[in-house]
Amino acid sequence: MKQTGSFRKWSLILLVVSAFAWAGANSLWAQTPPAAPAQPPAPAEQKPAEAKPKLVGSDLGLPAKLGVEIAKAPEGKGKGQIDTTAPRGVFGVPGAPQPSSILIFLWAVWVGWVFSTVGAFGGIMAGVGHMTVYGLGDYVRTFRDTAPGLNKTLTDSIRTSNQFLVGLSSIVSVVNYLKSKRMSWPLGLALGAGSIVGAYLAASLTGGKVSFSQYQGWFGVFVLVVGFVLIYELTPKGQAGKKAAKAASQAFEKTVKEKADIESAGVTLKSFSITKSTMTFFGTDFSFNPIAAFFGGVVIAAISAFIGVGGGFLYVPYLTSIVGLPMFVVAGTSALAVLISMITSITTYINVAGAGMDWALVGTQLVGVFIGSMVGPRTAKYIPEKWLKLLFIVLALYVGIGYFSRGFFGRSWVPM
Amino acid sequence: MWYYVDPYLLPLFGLTGVRGLDGLIGTFLLALFVVVIGEFTISLVFRANRKHLDKLNSNLKKYSDLSQEALRRGDETSYKALNKQANDAYGHVFFNKFGLSAAALWPIFFALDWMQPHFAESGISIPFYPSGAHYVVVFLICYILARIVFGRLKRHLPYFKGQYEMLRSYDQEGRPPGDGKR
Repeated sequence: MKQTGSFRKWSLILLVVSAFAWAGANSLWAQTPPAAPAQPPAPAEQKPAEAKPKLVGSDLGLPAKLGVEIAKAPEGKGKGQIDTTAPRGVFGVPGAPQPSSILIFLWAVWVGWVFSTVGAFGGIMAGVGHMTVYGLGDYVRTFRDTAPGLNKTLTDSIRTSNQFLVGLSSIVSVVNYLKSKRMSWPLGLALGAGSIVGAYLAASLTGGKVSFSQYQGWFGVFVLVVGFVLIYELTPKGQAGKKAAKAASQAFEKTVKEKADIESAGVTLKSFSITKSTMTFFGTDFSFNPIAAFFGGVVIAAISAFIGVGGGFLYVPYLTSIVGLPMFVVAGTSALAVLISMITSITTYINVAGAGMDWALVGTQLVGVFIGSMVGPRTAKYIPEKWLKLLFIVLALYVGIGYFSRGFFGRSWVPM
Repeated sequence: MWYYVDPYLLPLFGLTGVRGLDGLIGTFLLALFVVVIGEFTISLVFRANRKHLDKLNSNLKKYSDLSQEALRRGDETSYKALNKQANDAYGHVFFNKFGLSAAALWPIFFALDWMQPHFAESGISIPFYPSGAHYVVVFLICYILARIVFGRLKRHLPYFKGQYEMLRSYDQEGRPPGDGKR
């Protein structure tokens, strides 16, 4: 048993290290050379009739690709220009929005409250905070025509900031689930390996290539999907679907209550091959195809990394409906897959795509999130669950339609 | 903002004068400071929420015991209802633990925010990588080491000793200290 525990620990370490390695170990360790000052266009390329705007021409001390793109942006006080004399705002960019710490903190309290009451919707609220509440979306959009490269790099920074908040909860979840042995290791390893590939591909292929409008549009689509899932959960059919998973959970509860040996009551591996793996959970056999799990991880992690969310909303239905695992094990296994894909995509965005980070912004938000998650369970009990779900359905449809229309059609169909 | 902090933190990165060691020692000490602040925050949040956490843990134990009794009597309907209550109680305990853990992680990002302007371009010289490694990677490695070191030390430190015993009893028993035996 001790050997099995050791194997699990080392498997986790191996997966985490692989995530770092896959995300480009060389670029991670090595320092990105300071951005070279933007070269003025060659005289031959200049059209004498058009007055070219003066470029910033320096990275302004900003790291990696952010500095490179800042140097290429036009200098000035107008929209879509960098005012080098202005105070530095988010991501250290002069003239960028400077949301007050109180606003950041209060919104993060709300995000933490949502995390602790509704779960995944907290990630959506974190994204809404970055794009709309803190004013980053409107600012980044101004560079669409004047400095497209900066527009895309800042979009990557927003995506990465979203993932940080969502992913941190998975770190805590993984530790807790490890302690309570609610982890299916063979499945976790197959999904985790797929997550590394999917998150790396999505972050490296789309990093620096997606404009803010495109990102906002796709984020809107994602929010609408979540809204429809919430609606489905309220229907009788959706309610019935949860019963099967509850049955296995109750079997677990029963064994715990009968004070059985919890050590042996976790998930145990019965047989393993590249096409079929069987594990036993409370006397019931569960089989899955490791190759299918791997490709499931690739697809889910790619979508999550692209949108900048955790992915638990996809892993959970995948594991319960396709693999057929009980919720008690699904929660822990999906948290592990989310953690692996988050590490991969964040390191890829920062190192391969060169996304800049505003650490103080993340730190302030985290303070708010932990206070919100403390307040949430105490206050949510005064609001009926059905009302809470209805509230989030309305929010999801509103935000989804707004972002979808603003991103893909240039103007919002709802007041925003 | 960090202008006032520099005179206190920068000397940590020049303690030995040996290039390659200074960066590592400085980052480790900063990470240790971050761990201590995080643990201190946990202790404050824990004290503030202890009554609430005790109540949640008591609820979990109550519903668990009742559902077990229902099972013994063969009352399946009550068993299922109580089991659901116990499951909900577990969810509440879990999210409280999430809040406690987030309380420990927040200082990391302020430390990275301080490091960014100082080390983002030059990197941090460490043994076997004198040209400068990425500051985030060096910090995270030092943070893990600092957590391990502090985890061993805190059971001997005056303030954190009591906290360590209390949290350990929660981890091991999933219930408030003195609330029944294992």
